Amino acid sequence: MSAMDPTEVFRQEASELFEVLEGALLDLGQRPDDRELVDSAFRALHTIKGSGAMFGFDKVASFTHEFETAFDRVRKGEIKPTQELISVALAAKDYIRTLIEDPQSTDDIIGEAILDDLKRFVSSDQPAAPVVEIAEAPPLAPVESKQAGWHLYLEFESHILRNGSNPLDLLEDLCKLGPCFVVPVTDGIPFLDEMEPEDCYLKWDVKLHAACDKDAIDDVFMFVSDEMKLTLSPLEQVEAPAPMPLFQLLDEEPAPVVEMSAPVVEAVAAPVAAQPVARAEPKLEAKPEAKPEPKAEAKRDDRGIATVRVQAERLDELMDRVGELVIAQARLTQLAASGSDLSIKMIAEEIERLASSLRDTTMGARMVPIGSLFGRFRRLIHDLSRDLSKPVEFVTTGEDTELDKTMIECLADPLVHLIRNAIDHGIEDTATRSASGKTEQGRIELAAVHSGAQVLVTVKDNGGGLNTARIRAKAEEQGLIAAGAVLSDHEIHQFLFHPGFSTAQTISALSGRGVGMDVVKRTIENMRGSIDLSTRPGQGTTVTLRLPLTLAIIEGLLIRVGEGRYIIPLSAVEECIELTAEDERSRGRNFLNVRGNLVPFLRLREIMSSSGTPDRHQKTIIISTGETHVGLVADQIIGNHQTVIKSLSKLHSDVTIFSGATILGDGTAALILDVAQLVTMAQSKIEKQHISEAA
Amino acid sequence: MRAVNPRKFGGRMSSDVTEPKWSLRLPADCSIAAIRSVYDLIREAFGRQDRLEIDCSSVDKADVTSIQLLLSAAKTGDAQGRPVVLTSFSQSLRNTLRRAGFASEAMIDQHFPQKKDGV
Repeated sequence: MSAMDPTEVFRQEASELFEVLEGALLDLGQRPDDRELVDSAFRALHTIKGSGAMFGFDKVASFTHEFETAFDRVRKGEIKPTQELISVALAAKDYIRTLIEDPQSTDDIIGEAILDDLKRFVSSDQPAAPVVEIAEAPPLAPVESKQAGWHLYLEFESHILRNGSNPLDLLEDLCKLGPCFVVPVTDGIPFLDEMEPEDCYLKWDVKLHAACDKDAIDDVFMFVSDEMKLTLSPLEQVEAPAPMPLFQLLDEEPAPVVEMSAPVVEAVAAPVAAQPVARAEPKLEAKPEAKPEPKAEAKRDDRGIATVRVQAERLDELMDRVGELVIAQARLTQLAASGSDLSIKMIAEEIERLASSLRDTTMGARMVPIGSLFGRFRRLIHDLSRDLSKPVEFVTTGEDTELDKTMIECLADPLVHLIRNAIDHGIEDTATRSASGKTEQGRIELAAVHSGAQVLVTVKDNGGGLNTARIRAKAEEQGLIAAGAVLSDHEIHQFLFHPGFSTAQTISALSGRGVGMDVVKRTIENMRGSIDLSTRPGQGTTVTLRLPLTLAIIEGLLIRVGEGRYIIPLSAVEECIELTAEDERSRGRNFLNVRGNLVPFLRLREIMSSSGTPDRHQKTIIISTGETHVGLVADQIIGNHQTVIKSLSKLHSDVTIFSGATILGDGTAALILDVAQLVTMAQSKIEKQHISEAA
Repeated sequence: MRAVNPRKFGGRMSSDVTEPKWSLRLPADCSIAAIRSVYDLIREAFGRQDRLEIDCSSVDKADVTSIQLLLSAAKTGDAQGRPVVLTSFSQSLRNTLRRAGFASEAMIDQHFPQKKDGV
């Protein structure tokens, strides 16, 4: 196994940090007074800067430093993060990302322009009413402000240096608050053999002789507060003058020993002293919180092994291997079933159980929370909302819903189309909304929820809804339907998925060219999913995507039609019933009566042009996509089958009713039926029947 | 342990029998980016002599990791009865030591056994 390129590791980590940064900035636009968001953004920036410098991304480090500096007034609560400022900060984030991922595609002048904008915004005298209130609030504890200073004990987590953080910079920042007396604590330094040279072992005992408040100290360590233990206690007034500040010492020649205060020399009397600080300051002896806590160590260890970063290709490879294993296992099961050796049968069953368990575990390892995808759209909505001057509230639910990583990747583009349409065509402008009694701010909800073996992803807006009359008129104009043809609203809405169909009166950069919804539908169907539209005039539109959990291995129902065997995805199967003589005699209308509901059915023998005599007792498998139910009539239902999906060759690309193929236990192939296409086929058959009856 | 090539590792032989027979010159970059190789260098050199002299005159980039490594070398040498002597601290190393709180010569002397050679 080859080790990952460290710069690649940095890129991946930076990518995660950009998501955090973007999320924090976007949230800040909604909650400008949330200090935790500012801190979160700064922590991400700081880590990007530190790690960037460490891995040789000097431009990244330099630009991020400038970004931090310019944004510092926000951190200090001196100015409020306005929408304009957030937009520039987002542009700065994009620029840093480009510097890391594709530095050739950008130019310094862009970075300079962004920084100029950033500086212009932060230097303008914007009142920051709510923030100023906080800044001007009386100190938390009046007692604290009266004391002579602070006694600090700093202990960092061992990995902190690897993150690019530098404790020495923090000590310098601390010294800017006032005269500092810094004593390194070396008792944690291990022997050479036990040492990890990149780990942090040094700790520091600091006396800060400044009457600053606790927040000022917390600010210094803000970026690393999660990765250190900071013990703070008020320093009592002492008669002795404050020691020379570290900063002054640094700028001068080495200080003579006589200038150092006595306690320090005592404190460090022995090299690698066990407890230098304790000897210097007896009061500190009773400071158990400064000692490493075994529990905390254990927690760190647990966290270290909790997750492992694995390359996506390796997971794909693992899934392929499991697929091959499942096929081999099916062959073994079939072989065992045809023989009479009990021990072989037992082994076959055991392997079947293990293969099934391995399949589930592998598929579980590929599952990714859909929230990682949802996060990307916040920026899209922010930018579209700004460009179209349509204030939009973006709400997401079900971010924890897990989906195969390949599905997540495939889902990104369709969702971009749907969200763009929702804002551009769905949400009305503020004047129209106000006139119709709605709030000026529109709302888009993106939700995901498990539904059996499927995941439902919905994009819902509270805009004006679909204009059915206009869609119909356009369909007639394009010759898709005859003028005056009887169609339900649902059927009319399906024209939106027709290639080149658009009702937009103007073409914008976002939408209106009629390219998009057909691509969305095709992509979703390629994922063996389905798409459904529902709308209420004046109240909005909901687009529902139904998706299988995975694209690799599915549970299927193996059926026989004539001599051929086919797989129906089990997630689409509602029930299996026998076709009765009464149903057979339904005057060619092909409808089943299922508990009082009429369900259309398709005879697979006709579709597959099967030869020979049909079995006497035909079986009907009721399948569904969304609210639509259709029966499929087959000769025999063989049973459940773990289906490893294989793509069809290009030669079969025009055969729409099959979504793939699989290999059965006897080595023969079975085709997988495309449920969505079969349902569409049934619907069009009904329509034709309606039309012929009407004629 | 494989044999150490003094040339490869910046080591040099001393002609004076009263002096340590082997000394090690640290590379210019002793920051976290290069500390692993410096660590390997010191460990390899460590076991070969009763006394080890580490020449710090070329150190141009230093940080917390460099300080820790020198402290660890001194601690290990002390525990094993194999004195480690540091010589010729570069200005860069001194600055880093002071930033870390080793603010006086006395403090540095206490923590880092040095051979004073006029530098």
